[in-house]
Amino acid sequence: MTTQTIPERIVTFSQGLPGFEDCRHFILVASPSLDPFRLLQGAGATTSPSFVGIDPTLVEPEYRQALTPADLLRLEAREADKLVWLAIVAPQPDGHATVNLRAPVVINPASMRGIQVLAHDGPYRLDHPLNAA
Amino acid sequence: MLVFTRKLDEAIVIGEGIEIKVLRIGRDGVRIGVTAPAHVPVHRLEVYDQIRAANTTAAADVGTAHELVQRLRATTVQDAVPDTARSRSDGRNAGPPSGGGNDPLS
Repeated sequence: MTTQTIPERIVTFSQGLPGFEDCRHFILVASPSLDPFRLLQGAGATTSPSFVGIDPTLVEPEYRQALTPADLLRLEAREADKLVWLAIVAPQPDGHATVNLRAPVVINPASMRGIQVLAHDGPYRLDHPLNAA
Repeated sequence: MLVFTRKLDEAIVIGEGIEIKVLRIGRDGVRIGVTAPAHVPVHRLEVYDQIRAANTTAAADVGTAHELVQRLRATTVQDAVPDTARSRSDGRNAGPPSGGGNDPLS
C-alpha cells in the first residue's frame, strides 16, 4: 500500500441519505492518517453533513449483507463490480462510539454511485458498539 | 401533507408513475400495494425513520468528523482492528476483500 493521500472523488447518492435527502453528492476521503476509517464528506447545495465510516468487516469479520435488486440498480452495479462498504460511526454521549452495521453505505466506484442499505431487520444493529477502550 | 380519501381498489399516483393502491381494508389495518420503478426503494416508514435518526446522530461538520477519527484511532479501534488492516509496508493490499486499503475507489 502507498502512503500518499488519495485524491477526493465525488460519489452521487441519487436520494441523498435518510435525514439528508437534499445532499446528493459526497466526497469519499481516504488517507493513511485516517485509516482504518474513511470520511464521507457531504457536498450538497443546502446541507453538507460529514460522516465517519469504517469497513464493516473490520468490526464484524463475518459480516454479510444482501443487496436487493433495487439497491443494485441504484448503484448501477454490474456483476463484476467491486463495491465499497462503509458502516457509519456515531459518537455517543458517554464518549464511546457505535457503528451502524444494519444500514451501511455502499459505493460502486465503477459508477460513482452510492446508496444506504435500508434494512429493516437482520442480525446487525444500528448501534453496534465499537470496541470500548 | 396531501390527504386523500380512497375506497377499496382506488389508488394514488406519485411522481414518475409510482402508484399506491388500497387492496384491502380490515380490522388489522389497511393493505396497501405499491407499484414503483425497479430502482425506487420502498419501505415502511418506521424503518426509514430509524435510519434517519441514526444518521442524524452520526452527522457532523467535517472538522468534528476528523476529530472523531483521531480520537477513535487513539483510543478504541486499535484493539478491534486486525493487524492486517494496519500494515503499511508489505506492498500488497492487505485489507479485507470487500474494500479495505488506502484507495477504496481504485
